Amino acid sequence: MRTKYRLGVDAGGTFTDFVLADDTGNVRLFKALSTPDDPTKAIENGLALMSEELGTEPSKIIAECDLCINGTTVGLNALIQHKGAKTGLICTAGHEDSLEIRLGHKEDGYRYDAEYPPAEMLVPRYLRRGVRERVLSNGEVRTALHEEDVRAACELFLKEGIETVAISFVWSVLNQAHERRAAEIVREMMPNTFLTVGSELYPQVREYTRTSTAVTNSYLGPTLKKYVDSVDRYFAEHGARYPVRYFQSNGGLAIGQAMTDRSVYAINSGPASAPQAGLFVSAPFGKNNVITVDMGGTSFDITLTKDANTNLNKNIDFLRYRIGVPMIQVETLGAGGGSIGWIDEMGLLQVGPQSAGADPGPACYDQGGTEPTVTDANVVLGYVNPGSLLGGRMTLDKDKAHAAIKQRIANPLGISVERAAYGMFTIVNNNMVNGIRRVSVERGYDPRDFVLVAAGGAGAAHITALAREIGIDTVLVPKLASGLCAFGQIISNVKYNYMASAPLRLEGAEAFSRINKLFVEIEAQGVEHLEADGFERDRIEIGRSMDMRYVGQVHECTVGIGKFEIDGDTVDQVKDAFHQRHEQLYTYSERNNAVEVVNIESTIYGRVDKPKPPSLGTGVGADYAIKSRRPMIFSPDGEAVEGPVYDGGMLGAGDEIAGPAVIEETTTTIVIDPGWRARLHESGSYVLTHDT
Amino acid sequence: MSRKVDPITLSVIRGVLETTQREMTVALEKTARSSVFNLAHDYSNAIFNHVPEMIMQGQDIPIHLGSLIPAMKCVAGYFGDDIHPGDVLLHNDPAYMGSHMIDTCMYKPVFYKGELVFWTVCKGHLTDIGGPVPAGYNPAATEIYAEGLRIPPVKIFDRGVKRYDVMNLILTNMRARRDQEGDFNAQLGAVQVGERNLIALLDKYGLDEVRASIGELMAMADRQMRSLMDSVPDGVYEGKAVVEDAGHGLGDMAITATVTIEGDACSIKINSPPQVPYFINSYEGNSYSGVYLGVMMFAQLPPPYNEGLYRCISVDMGPKGTICNAKEPAPHMNCTTTPMETLTDAVRLAFEEAAPDHVSAGWGHANGCNIAGWDTRNDEEYVTMVLASIISGAGATPQQDGWHACGPECCFGALTSGDVELLEYSYPIIIHGYSLMTDSGGAGKFRGGSGTRWEVEPIDKPMTFITFGEGRRIPAMGAAGAKSRMVEPKVGRIEISRGGRVDLIKTNVIETINPGERAANMNPGGGGYGNPFARPIDKVVWDVRNRLVSVEGAREDYGVVVEDPETLKVDMAATEALRSQQAIAE
Repeated sequence: MRTKYRLGVDAGGTFTDFVLADDTGNVRLFKALSTPDDPTKAIENGLALMSEELGTEPSKIIAECDLCINGTTVGLNALIQHKGAKTGLICTAGHEDSLEIRLGHKEDGYRYDAEYPPAEMLVPRYLRRGVRERVLSNGEVRTALHEEDVRAACELFLKEGIETVAISFVWSVLNQAHERRAAEIVREMMPNTFLTVGSELYPQVREYTRTSTAVTNSYLGPTLKKYVDSVDRYFAEHGARYPVRYFQSNGGLAIGQAMTDRSVYAINSGPASAPQAGLFVSAPFGKNNVITVDMGGTSFDITLTKDANTNLNKNIDFLRYRIGVPMIQVETLGAGGGSIGWIDEMGLLQVGPQSAGADPGPACYDQGGTEPTVTDANVVLGYVNPGSLLGGRMTLDKDKAHAAIKQRIANPLGISVERAAYGMFTIVNNNMVNGIRRVSVERGYDPRDFVLVAAGGAGAAHITALAREIGIDTVLVPKLASGLCAFGQIISNVKYNYMASAPLRLEGAEAFSRINKLFVEIEAQGVEHLEADGFERDRIEIGRSMDMRYVGQVHECTVGIGKFEIDGDTVDQVKDAFHQRHEQLYTYSERNNAVEVVNIESTIYGRVDKPKPPSLGTGVGADYAIKSRRPMIFSPDGEAVEGPVYDGGMLGAGDEIAGPAVIEETTTTIVIDPGWRARLHESGSYVLTHDT
Repeated sequence: MSRKVDPITLSVIRGVLETTQREMTVALEKTARSSVFNLAHDYSNAIFNHVPEMIMQGQDIPIHLGSLIPAMKCVAGYFGDDIHPGDVLLHNDPAYMGSHMIDTCMYKPVFYKGELVFWTVCKGHLTDIGGPVPAGYNPAATEIYAEGLRIPPVKIFDRGVKRYDVMNLILTNMRARRDQEGDFNAQLGAVQVGERNLIALLDKYGLDEVRASIGELMAMADRQMRSLMDSVPDGVYEGKAVVEDAGHGLGDMAITATVTIEGDACSIKINSPPQVPYFINSYEGNSYSGVYLGVMMFAQLPPPYNEGLYRCISVDMGPKGTICNAKEPAPHMNCTTTPMETLTDAVRLAFEEAAPDHVSAGWGHANGCNIAGWDTRNDEEYVTMVLASIISGAGATPQQDGWHACGPECCFGALTSGDVELLEYSYPIIIHGYSLMTDSGGAGKFRGGSGTRWEVEPIDKPMTFITFGEGRRIPAMGAAGAKSRMVEPKVGRIEISRGGRVDLIKTNVIETINPGERAANMNPGGGGYGNPFARPIDKVVWDVRNRLVSVEGAREDYGVVVEDPETLKVDMAATEALRSQQAIAE
């Protein structure tokens, strides 16, 4: 690092986390309440905390940063609350309704639910205007573009006060001419209107996905622009030397302009940085298969990284909207400290997805909440110290926790409060385990081959129990767990995805040369983009993948491939990678059958130097850090054992603790089950292992 | 709650069973060839215990799951003691409780420590099953033998050894062999994934604990259904619905369901006319799906779904040889939609009589098409059911408008129609439109969902276009007083455009469509709920603005007079007059 600091600002729903890394390897974590109406306010408050601790002015800190990096939920919130721009869609006549037909499907889980509402339309039907034009599946024009139809649509949009426009035509991925011409007309008639062109944003086969992605992009564009402008301005005014970098849902950084033009890349920005952080904290142990679990107040986010490559989602329903562009696969469950335990109509104990939120919060917060939450269970189980949450800035009422669990769970089930609390703990863990299976087993990975990394304020209390359930024998809990995403952002690279569609059988010189040519084209674009962004050629890296399937299949497997020219010899490497992946996922492959390609993609990275890793001093033995003992419950029958409680701040590198025990850090509590032990590593993570 | 079962373990085991069923589904969907599987989700996975009773029903297609219950019992009974580790069974024949022959089902017995403990089951709609007409639907068939290959229960793996001879016999009789073979592989993957997970569950909790928990899950479902039946006043209720004449000339046919509630028990008796020499007869297995779906449309119970739900329900399908309890050689291929949806409606109507405020409106019935022909791009045959063509509107509920494009009733939102580009890539066709249809949703205080119009043209070779289903004259049923005056736009139909002429077709036909000609399949909307004249005016105007309701429809169906189609200004006086007139008339 050429300058003194690097700053990460991760704006979440409740808290904005700040991570400040300095050039000695010191990493500090700060938290300020988020200010959704004016996000720069929270940034200002966070910087005030920092300047208090460091004894310098905020502008000095900013001026000494090599990079200021921001993860944001503004896009996500606008989509959740349907507060995006008023958007119009121009599409192929006859296909105006793909957005509302949504492939004719009602989401699983609601099959017989008479009250589950249809998804709210981001563009209502009367603002989805079909124009006469048609390209066929071989790229040929069947019907020329009727420009007068485009003009008529623009006139309607002008009359209706439309703020943004999306254009998406059938098969535009094979022939962009019509979309480009329509875009010219829109720009001419509506010069200052935010415009998304489907084949430019997401050049992949699947009309519904492309249209929905383009519409979402236009819907969110102005919101992102307003946000980015104000954050950019704030940092510029405070002496930032370089433009602010923003974190995208694809797991990489982008400059503000890219974040605005391609706002759909911003919709799940926050949790997407967990894999980078997970890899970073696992690196000292030589591990690059990592599952991260981030448990906060209301949700539980899971990511998976295999051989340093993170699971990506393409073409998924996100908040009920189909999104094509690659996003780090984040499996989000309604399982957090505030998740409520309840008895369903069948008499079964359930936990979540409803949450007591921050207000009234868990019963033990004593703010009027009467529903028993996971945090209440953790208090009754002796895991969480009622006296010292957030370093003693908050106290909890154990009696209230006890009473809530007794009334809502223990009495109806006819069991003791302790058993009920352990039951809630078990059920929420089980929900989380099933979520972990979805990102691992369903993707063809055995979770036992992975290291589990705990993040979020609440994750570490559950982590050994989760690991035991899944069969993982190594767990890492960084001391920074509760701000891990912000940390992940400051160690990430700039990353852009470039795509092309190439529906063809993987046979013959013509097919090979078409694919090779497409890769070269999209990569040239990407390199140009990054060079303009200030990256020298030797800092630019390229990764390739292809979506492939057997002829006749409809769903593809995305397979990473090396950067080489595909020809009669090397094609076998490509096919082989596909067969292997298919076997891994679905228990079999069909090596004698023809393989076809649907889409290709290159990921272009601009390498950013990493800050110096943290390094802790050697400890003097864990016993020194014991601050108290209390009863803790680790058994389904509700029996308690007396366990030691350690002050994490007093522990040094090499200190070792055997479970049952609890380690209290300022912003998180680590529960060590019996049979597990924790050792603090110099890199700042606790290594939890199972005694064999 | 039974003393033996730990409530926490119970919840955990339930979660594992749900996850297992889901993983079976993912494995099938991602690998299948046929778009009917992988786009349309026209398949179902289930888990049975050793009895065999269905212990886990997923969120898949309702038409399959009811019939799986008797089918599993029938197939297991056929082999009796001759079931061994490593066996895999295959079956499609309705005479052995199958639904329709094109739905082919794979059953894998799961053994644990030498004992048969579970069955993992995967059933799916293939693209072809042999016979004279591609894709199986043959409106000209007068016997089941003219509809395709009947597969009684057979072993395709015997003690772990694949029976290539049996598979070859089957595949030799099917079109597009490569796709069919791929789909059998996909089904095999699904039942194997299920087996793998169940063994892991048993390793962890042991057989006794798992069995006790499953027993409790079934008892819970039973209690839930019983308590619901208990809440319905004792009595005898009747529902009657009509299968319209879809061009066979045999006339309309009424199906009656008589539901008797006594305490917490329910018996359902079906009365249907004698079977006909047309493909709308339903054998007993399939009829169970229709009856159970009618019950679930009323019950709307939350999961877990298992056979316990139906313990308190006894069903009498009526005498053998009737359209809801057909016997050989009745043709039947259309049965999963017609008459099943009408059977479902009859049962649902009986419950509506019993509990008027609890029942949603009927969904649009399937009237769709299959296409087949030659693909010159790859010089090979193609054949498929067009799932996009059967996506109808959902019925309105006591709480809200019906979903657009979510049906048909027999699938209840579980299908997906497939992306236009993927379909055009897979088949040599141009899809000229896939749209919602103005005035197609049934009128009501809550409007029924819109149906869809799917229009196709072959690229360079003639295409065989085969239609099936009904609902082209009788619209989806409204509930709680909903009624539409404009009926024509709410029913299904087919338009064939050739040589500047448009032919309207309301029957089941096999047509040849040439390049330059077009066929459009229109699928009905869902029924409305409640008096349409009580629908708030602004909601009607919003529908007019979005062309879901025409200006004429607003007046006719909703009593709302829109003065100016441009500004959408409402003539309040005329509207009030119209609406109060109707009130007086009633």
